Amino acid sequence: MILDLAEWRMSIDSSFLPIISLLPFLGALVPGLMIRAGRTACATFTALPTFLALVMLLILAPGVMRGEVYTAEIAWLPQLGLSASFFLDGLGLLFAVMILGVGLLITLYARFYLSKDDPMGQFYTYLLLFQGAMLGIVLSDNILLLLVFWELTSLSSFLLIGYWKHLPEGRQGARMALAVTGAGGLAMIGGMLILGNIVGSYNLTDILAAGDQIKASDWYVPALILILLGAFTKSAQFPFHFWLPHAMAAPTPVSAYLHSATMVKAGVFLMARMWPALAGTEIWFYLVATVGLITMVLGAVIALFKDDLKALLAFSTVSHLGLLTMLLGFGTKAAAIAAVFHIINHLTFKAALFMTAGIVDHEAHTRDIKRLGGLARLMPVTATIGTVAALSMAGIPLFNGFISKEMMLEEASHTYWFQNPWIVPALATLGALFSVAYSLRFIFHVFGGPVRDDYPHHPHDPPFGMYAAPALLAVLVVVIGIAPFLAEPVVKMAANAVTGAETKPYLKIWHGINPALFMSVGAILGGAVLLALHRPLDRAWIAAPRPEAKVIFDGLVATVVRWTRGISEALHNGAISRYLAYFVTATVIVGFAAYQGGALGAPTREMLPVPIPVFFGWLLLIIATATVVILHRQRFLALVVIGVVGLMVSAGFVYLSAPDLALTQISVETVTIMLLLLALHFLPKETPAESTGLRIGSDAVVAVAAGLAVGLLAFAFMMRDFDSISAYHLANSYKGGGGTNVVNVILVDFRGYDTYGEIIVLGIAGLAIFALMEALLSGPAGARLRNSSYDLDRSRDRHPLMMVVVTRLMLPIAIMVGVYIFLRGHNQPGGGFVAGLVVSIALLMQYMASGFAWTTRRQKIKYHTLIGLGVLVAGLTGAGAWLAGRPFLTSAFGYVHLEPIEEFELATAALFDLGVFLCVLGAVMLMLYSLSRMARHAGETVNKEPMGYDPSRAVESLRKKAE
Amino acid sequence: MLAEIVISAFLVIGGIFGLVGSYGLLKLRDCMQRLHAPTKASTVGVGSVLIASMLYFLLVKGQVSFHEVMITLFLFLTAPITAHFMAQVHVRLREREDDLPETDRDFGWSIYEDPPVYGDGD
Repeated sequence: MILDLAEWRMSIDSSFLPIISLLPFLGALVPGLMIRAGRTACATFTALPTFLALVMLLILAPGVMRGEVYTAEIAWLPQLGLSASFFLDGLGLLFAVMILGVGLLITLYARFYLSKDDPMGQFYTYLLLFQGAMLGIVLSDNILLLLVFWELTSLSSFLLIGYWKHLPEGRQGARMALAVTGAGGLAMIGGMLILGNIVGSYNLTDILAAGDQIKASDWYVPALILILLGAFTKSAQFPFHFWLPHAMAAPTPVSAYLHSATMVKAGVFLMARMWPALAGTEIWFYLVATVGLITMVLGAVIALFKDDLKALLAFSTVSHLGLLTMLLGFGTKAAAIAAVFHIINHLTFKAALFMTAGIVDHEAHTRDIKRLGGLARLMPVTATIGTVAALSMAGIPLFNGFISKEMMLEEASHTYWFQNPWIVPALATLGALFSVAYSLRFIFHVFGGPVRDDYPHHPHDPPFGMYAAPALLAVLVVVIGIAPFLAEPVVKMAANAVTGAETKPYLKIWHGINPALFMSVGAILGGAVLLALHRPLDRAWIAAPRPEAKVIFDGLVATVVRWTRGISEALHNGAISRYLAYFVTATVIVGFAAYQGGALGAPTREMLPVPIPVFFGWLLLIIATATVVILHRQRFLALVVIGVVGLMVSAGFVYLSAPDLALTQISVETVTIMLLLLALHFLPKETPAESTGLRIGSDAVVAVAAGLAVGLLAFAFMMRDFDSISAYHLANSYKGGGGTNVVNVILVDFRGYDTYGEIIVLGIAGLAIFALMEALLSGPAGARLRNSSYDLDRSRDRHPLMMVVVTRLMLPIAIMVGVYIFLRGHNQPGGGFVAGLVVSIALLMQYMASGFAWTTRRQKIKYHTLIGLGVLVAGLTGAGAWLAGRPFLTSAFGYVHLEPIEEFELATAALFDLGVFLCVLGAVMLMLYSLSRMARHAGETVNKEPMGYDPSRAVESLRKKAE
Repeated sequence: MLAEIVISAFLVIGGIFGLVGSYGLLKLRDCMQRLHAPTKASTVGVGSVLIASMLYFLLVKGQVSFHEVMITLFLFLTAPITAHFMAQVHVRLREREDDLPETDRDFGWSIYEDPPVYGDGD
C-alpha cells in the first residue's frame, strides 16, 4: 500500500494540537519544583513548554496561512457529545501565537519584576495553568470543551489576580473577577447548550457552518443573550466592566498578560469565533455594537480621571475592548478586518504599556500619576518605550494604533443607529478624543515635566531583562505602524476565519481625505485641549457624585448572601433532627404524590400465613423499638434494647432465607454495639430532656408517617409481582461469575465497581474518624478528657483472668471461622465483608480482655496500611482484567483439581474479596483504635501483663521464696 | 418409635428447664440470686435440646452431627464469662466495699483492690 504522503503529513501535524494544549498544563507541574534550583532556572523551565508549544504552532502556521484547517479529535464522553477535539484555523492561530508569545515575554518580565519574597514557583505555575486554559479556549473544536477551558480561565485567573494573598485588594479583586466572569460563564453554558441543541452537534465547525439555521431558530435570541452575557462579563463590557480595574491589584505581569492579550480578549475571541453563526442580525447589531460603543466611551472618560497608572490602563483596556466589541457588532466584513487588526495592535501597545507602568512602579515605588513626572530624564529607555506605546494608543500616525483606529472611524462613519446617521460616528469620535487625552496624559504627566525631588524612591532604568519585553513590543508597534502591509497576511488569515469568507484587507497609512481623517484629526486636537484643561476638569470630576462600582457590587453580593443564608439557615440550622425532619417529610410527600399518580396496579399475590413464632418475633421487634423510644435518655439501656432489635432483624433474615444478610447483620450488630459502648463511655450517660411537648408531637407525627409510608411501600411491593434485575443475577451468577452465592457474586462481580467504591468510602470513614479524634484530642476536648476521671466506678480488675484465658482460646477459633467464611463466600453465605467483621470481633475481644495498648504493641501491621492494602489489592485485581483485554473489574474463574483435595474453584473475585476483607478489617479496627486513644488520653495506664492477676506468677514467686 | 420417645423426652426436659429458668428470673429477689436462674436454662435446658438434636440426626437421619458439640463448647465458654461480668458489675454498682464479706485471703476483692504484683524482684 502506498502511503499518501500529504495525508500522513496532515495527520502528524494535527496530532500536534492536543500536545500544544496539554503542554502548559504539564509544564505547570515543573516551576514548583524548579524554584529550588533558583529563580532563573524556574523562569527558564516555565518558558520551555511555552516555547515548545509556540514552535509546534509555527510549524503549523504556513499551512493555516494557506487556508488549511487542522483538526484532531480524541473521544472523551461521546454520550454527552463531549470530545477532546481541537482545531486550528486563522483566528485560533492568531490568538494562540499571541497567548504563547506574550506568555514568553511575561515570563521573562516577571522573572525581574517579582521580588525575592514572592513565591515565584507558585506564580509560574498559575501562569502556565492560565496559559493552558486560554490555549484550550482558542483551540477547542467542541463547545463543551471550550466551556471547560472557559471556566478554567476564570479559576486560574482568580489565582493569579489574588496572587498577593496578603493584600485585601488582591483578594477582593480576585473574588470579584471570579464572581463576575464565573456568573457569565454559567450563563454561557446555558447559551452553548441551546446552540448545540439547535444544530444537533457540539462541534464548533458544525455550528459555524449552520449559521442560517441558528438565526432562523426560535431559540436564537435566548442563546445569543446567554452567550453574550458570558462574553461581555469576560471582556469587561458595560455594565460588567467594573471588575477589570479591581483586578489591577494583581502583580503587573499578571495585568499585562490577562488584560492585554488573553483573559479579557477571550470574550472578544468568542464573539469573533461565533461571528459566522450569530452575527449579522439586527439584535446582534443593537446588542453588541451598542454595548461596545457605550463601553468604549465610558471607559475612555473614566480613564482620563484615574491617577493610578494601572487604573488608567485598565479603563483604557475597557474602552478598547468596547471598541473591538463594537466593530464585531457592526457585522460587516470591513469591521471584522478592523477588529482583527486592532486586536493585534492593542496587544502590542497595551502589553508594553502595562509593563512600562510596572517598571515605573517598581522603580519609583508609586503608580500615582500626581506624584510622578519628569521621569524622561531619569529613565530614558523606559520613557521611550512608554511614549511609543502610548502614542500608538492615542492613534497618532506612524504608530500601529493609528491605522486600526482610522479603520474603526471609517466603519463608524457610515453606521446608522436606528436611522440616526451621526450618533455612532460622533460617539466614536468622542471615545477616540478621550483616548487621545488619557494617552497624552500618560506621556506628559509621567515622563514629561520637570524632574521632581519627592519620589518615594529615586527611579532609574531597570536592568535589560526587565525592559526587553516591552521594548520588543514597542519595536513591533513602530514596524507595523510604518509598514502595515507586513501584517496584511496575518490579518487576512484571521479575518477569513472570523467571517468564514475570503477577505481582502488593505492596510495602509494614508487613506486619502475622508470622514475618518477629519474625525481623527478632531480627536487628536480635542484630546490635546482636554489634557490642557485636565486640572480644572479633574477637580470637577472629583467633586461630582459618581456611582462606585465596588460598593454597588459588594452591596449586591451581601444581599444575595443574606438571602441565601436566610434560606439555608432556616432549612439547615445545624440540628441534625431538623435536617432529618425536612428530608423525611419531603420524601413522604413526594412518595404520596407518586402514589396519587395511581400507577399502582392491583395486588397480584396472596398474603402468606403468619406462623406463631414469627408473630412473636414481630411483637418483640415492636416492643423493643417502642422501648428504645421510651428509654432513649438512658443511653446504655437503650443500647441493650437496640441489640435486641438487631438480633431480631437477623432472625428475620434467616426466616426469609437470606443467610448472607443475617450473618452480616449479626456481625455488624456486634461490632457496632461494641464501638458504641466504647464511645458512650466518654459521653454523658443520659440524654438531657430538651424538647418541648410540641416538638415531640410534631416529630412523632413525622416519624409515624414515615414509618407507615415505608411499611406500606414494602407491603405494596411484596403483594405484587414486579420485574427486577434479580432474575438476571440468579441466571448468570454461576454461569458468568462462577459462584453459587448470588449475593457474593453481585458484590464482587456484577456490582464490583460499587463495592470498590464502598470499601474506599469505608476506608475514608475510618481515616476520618481517626483524624477527627486526632483533632479532638489535641484541642480543648482533650484537655477536658485529661482532667476528668472515668475510673471512679470502675473495677480494679481491669483484665480478668477468666476473660483473658477464654479470649485466648477463642482467637484462633474465631480467626479460623473468619477464614472459613471468607473462603466459602463465593458459593455459600459468607464473603470478605463478613469475614472482615468476624476477624475484627476476634481482635476486639483481645482488646477487651488484655487492654488496648497491650494488644496494639503485639500488632505488626498498622490499620492505615491495612485499609490501603485492601483498596490496593481490590484495585489491582480489577486492573488485572486490563491485562486480559477486558474492562476494569471483569472477573475470571477456573476450576482446579489437586489430589487429594476435591476439585475447587479459583476466581479472581476471591482476590477482590480479599481486598474487601482487608479494608473492612482495617477500617473497623482503626475506628476502635481511634476511640481507644481517648481512653489512653483519659489517663489509663498500660499493663505489662496480658491479665491483671496471673496465678502462675504467684506460684512461681512462692516457689522462689521456698527455695 | 422408641427413638421418637427419647428425643421428645429430651425436648420436653429442655423446655421445662427453660421455663424454670425464665420463671426464676421473675421470681427471685435480688440480682445475685437471679443470676442463677438462667444458668439452668442455658446448661440443662439448652443441653437437653442439643442432645435431642444429635439423637434426631443419628437415629432418624442416620448421620452424625457435630454442630451441637461446637455449640455446647461455645456455651460453656461464654456463659461463665457473662455471669462473671454481670456479677462484677453488680458488686461494683450496687454493693459498697464495706458491706462485702471478708475474703479471708491475703488480698481483698479484686473489684476494689489492685491485683498483686509479682515483679522480677520478688
